[in-house]
Amino acid sequence: MALSPENPLSAEPEIETSHAEEFVEQLRCVADTLPSRINIDAQSVEQGLAKLVLTLIEFIRRLLEKQAVRRMEGGDLSPEQIEELGLALMRLEAKLQELKSQFGLEDEDLNLDLGPIGRLI
Amino acid sequence: MKLYAYCLAEDLDTLDHSQPGIAGAPVRLLKIDNLAVLISDTTIDAVPVTKENALAHAAVVRSILDQTTPLPFRFGTLVTERQLGSYVSARKPALKKKLAHVRGCVEMSVKIIWDAPDGIRTTNAELSGTGTDFLTAKRREILGDEQRAKQATEISDWLRERVSGLTRDEQAILRPSERLLLSAAHLVERANIERYRTQLVEARQNRPELHFLISGPWPPYSFANIELEFSSQFGVS
Repeated sequence: MALSPENPLSAEPEIETSHAEEFVEQLRCVADTLPSRINIDAQSVEQGLAKLVLTLIEFIRRLLEKQAVRRMEGGDLSPEQIEELGLALMRLEAKLQELKSQFGLEDEDLNLDLGPIGRLI
Repeated sequence: MKLYAYCLAEDLDTLDHSQPGIAGAPVRLLKIDNLAVLISDTTIDAVPVTKENALAHAAVVRSILDQTTPLPFRFGTLVTERQLGSYVSARKPALKKKLAHVRGCVEMSVKIIWDAPDGIRTTNAELSGTGTDFLTAKRREILGDEQRAKQATEISDWLRERVSGLTRDEQAILRPSERLLLSAAHLVERANIERYRTQLVEARQNRPELHFLISGPWPPYSFANIELEFSSQFGVS
């Protein structure tokens, strides 16, 4: 039964879109990020722990980068300090990429879904 | 014997349908302190997460949507009758408040896909250049991200404005870095559903660059009992 002002309590759901395939693809991507079941074995525990730790490091790294850029824009760093800070952050990023590769993780793996708040990164 | 709990509702004295529940189990109505809880008796310790079970749970919750607006329990909620009674009695004021919030309403869902502006990412060459080049590249990257977040927020605000006056509440998840930009749930009074749909049809025509998926009416899953779930899980009331 369709909803209408005359029959406001009827509630057959409808789905309306002109881009069904596109939405199916996107929603499938979201579903694919959720584990179908939790495997507790040594390898998955190690990788899960690495993912969590590297996500937090990545989050802090990005905060540091933003802070460095703000300070550079603010003009309170000398050219030598900018170079030194840039080099330190560059090496940190390179090291993180190396660790990601060791644990078989991609860029998009380093994130946490915080539900209604959104994602950490 | 355990109970599988589907949802909680007010103003419901009888079930005028025979919608089967999880694994085909019969659904019955349990009255606790003038509130109705839809349950199935079960002997299982955990409910397998399958498409059939998820659809069965949703079908039971939706089966009373014509009569009242229920507060759905999280999928897989297994309790004893004593636990359920204690839960409802201890949290009755909060449950009543939540039921009053969703009374007469349903959930409508809007999802938006956009062609996100390409983010500028630091290249490998910049990762091996000088520190100054690296920070300059990062500055470009951050400015690009900020611009994209600003555009995303504008779209979210625009949608909220289009349906303002027709919604009682909103839950929105905005992801500027992804193609599925916005997932919004609106709590809409039943009498306003047609006007809400009309508003969205007009809105879609104004923004052909955005792709919309509009669905509903659904039970108010996004407005149900998050804090109650947390209270239950962590034993804090």
